[in-house]
Amino acid sequence: MPVTRDAEARLIRHVALTAAVVTLVLAASAATSAFAQAGLFGGLRPPADTGVLGWIVAKQALFYRALSGLIRAAKTDGSAYWGLMGISFIYGIFHAAGPGHGKAVISSYLLANEETWRRGIALSFASALLQALTAVVIVTIAAILIGATAKVMGDTVRVIEIVSYALIVLLGVRLLWLKGRSFLYALHDVRAKAEPLEAAANTHAADAAHAHCEHHSHHDHAHHGHRHHAHARSHDHDEEESVLPWGHAHGPEPEELAGPGGWRRGLSAIVAVGLRPCSGAIIILVFALAQGLFWAGVASTFVMGIGTAITVAVIATLAVGAKSLAKRFARSRAGYGALMLRGVEVGAAAVVMAFGVLLLTGTVASERMGMF
Amino acid sequence: MIHRFFFFIVGLACFIAATGRVDAHPHVWVTMTEELLYAPDGSVTGVRHAWTFDDMFSAFATQGMEQKTQGTFTREELEPLAKVNVESLREYAFFTYAKMNGKRQRDAFLEPVDYFLEYDPKETVLTLHFTLPFKTPVKAKTIELEIYDPEFFIDFGFAEKDPVRLVSAPAQCTASVQKPHDDNFSAALRLDKSFMTSEANAGMGSNFANRISVTCP
Repeated sequence: MPVTRDAEARLIRHVALTAAVVTLVLAASAATSAFAQAGLFGGLRPPADTGVLGWIVAKQALFYRALSGLIRAAKTDGSAYWGLMGISFIYGIFHAAGPGHGKAVISSYLLANEETWRRGIALSFASALLQALTAVVIVTIAAILIGATAKVMGDTVRVIEIVSYALIVLLGVRLLWLKGRSFLYALHDVRAKAEPLEAAANTHAADAAHAHCEHHSHHDHAHHGHRHHAHARSHDHDEEESVLPWGHAHGPEPEELAGPGGWRRGLSAIVAVGLRPCSGAIIILVFALAQGLFWAGVASTFVMGIGTAITVAVIATLAVGAKSLAKRFARSRAGYGALMLRGVEVGAAAVVMAFGVLLLTGTVASERMGMF
Repeated sequence: MIHRFFFFIVGLACFIAATGRVDAHPHVWVTMTEELLYAPDGSVTGVRHAWTFDDMFSAFATQGMEQKTQGTFTREELEPLAKVNVESLREYAFFTYAKMNGKRQRDAFLEPVDYFLEYDPKETVLTLHFTLPFKTPVKAKTIELEIYDPEFFIDFGFAEKDPVRLVSAPAQCTASVQKPHDDNFSAALRLDKSFMTSEANAGMGSNFANRISVTCP
């Protein structure tokens, strides 16, 4: 694909912006959360009901409060079910704009990996529905079968939460390891290419060998007259590795990657994010149970999950879009482009890990369960 | 290319909006009625809270509790729950922040006393009553109390009717309340202040929390 200097410059700006903004987002959310802990006349106040965010918060509160009335009404009036489902759906959409729905983790995961927008959406739906399912399972077992108290349920959620956050950390570490390695390979690639003699000799011999780069120095490459592509796949047959095309034109197309085995690859992210149920769902389920309308609560929870999934999917699609933009740039200039792409992936992997650590250490409060 | 660029920026803005903490979402709503307690010498001795939870959270909180009569809970039945409540509240500084004569009080309160939970079977809501004694009762010309959850998991709001009462306070003392949703300030001003509020200008323009101001001449 021939790209003019001008377009290239624009693409560079895009990529640079992506990296900068992702970093800023993380830094800002970490910093504000830290401030929030300060409290006492100093730190952050609850958000004011101004602006778009305030509007979202206000609407969300309104919908949530409406749910209790609708569940009550459904006891006597069958038509209230429609209203309940409608509000649950809209609430889900708004609600996912809040923390605790793994948006950040999912989008970073998508940025770090080679994923299609379809898979991004599938991932969002799978994790949101898993979240709904965990909520229903917890309440069914704890409240209905055992007759456990709110405290027991809160403690259960806390344990699940720790497992979920630990999984996010593991996911991040794993991604960081894989992406870090590919970054180093790409760096190697770029350096090798930078040698003018080699660059000239390489033009025809591209793609030839899946060489074990770490065993060769740059000079070896020059002697062989090959340009060695550091295909990580040749070193490691791990699932995750198959997500590492080199950003060269001959790299596997995203569509190929979405093929068999693709689900297993995304499963780690789905479980890590979807394991922790939303506190709101649990409260609604218990309330519905107390009203003798548990099934209405279950239906509401799943409809809410679909709403949540839509919001997460939109953000996931944006992440995939940003990535493919970066990828196009990478393809237009094999050496540095690939390096930059790998750099973005390393950054995204670091974000996944950082989020996991912040959640695990309680620096970023996602949800609070239990009595307070 | 340009429109794609704009799309991209808008998308990232949404991403920021979606991941920031500003959009924390409450799952618990509290309607509060507050009392300030005074000693005969005119010094303020404590704060008596009455916090009524929303019906959904009340149902959640009472889940699995033993009850003799279906549909209601006695004070005794709720006693263990009340204990858990007040004990876990310490971690959150009781969501109560005090300022006396313009000076911020750190760690101002002793352990809560006279706490109990009350269940209203008609409204199916729980009310938590507890008193926070001041460590050092003082005669203060001005007292400011703020009640809020900095993480906004709990949405505190004053009761519509008589949200604040001064108990055996000197006759000249007056109390007023300020709600976070008051429209006294323009949106721009508020937004500005949300960024300005920091340790450095503590107490300045804190129009976001529920505030009780008491003045005694």
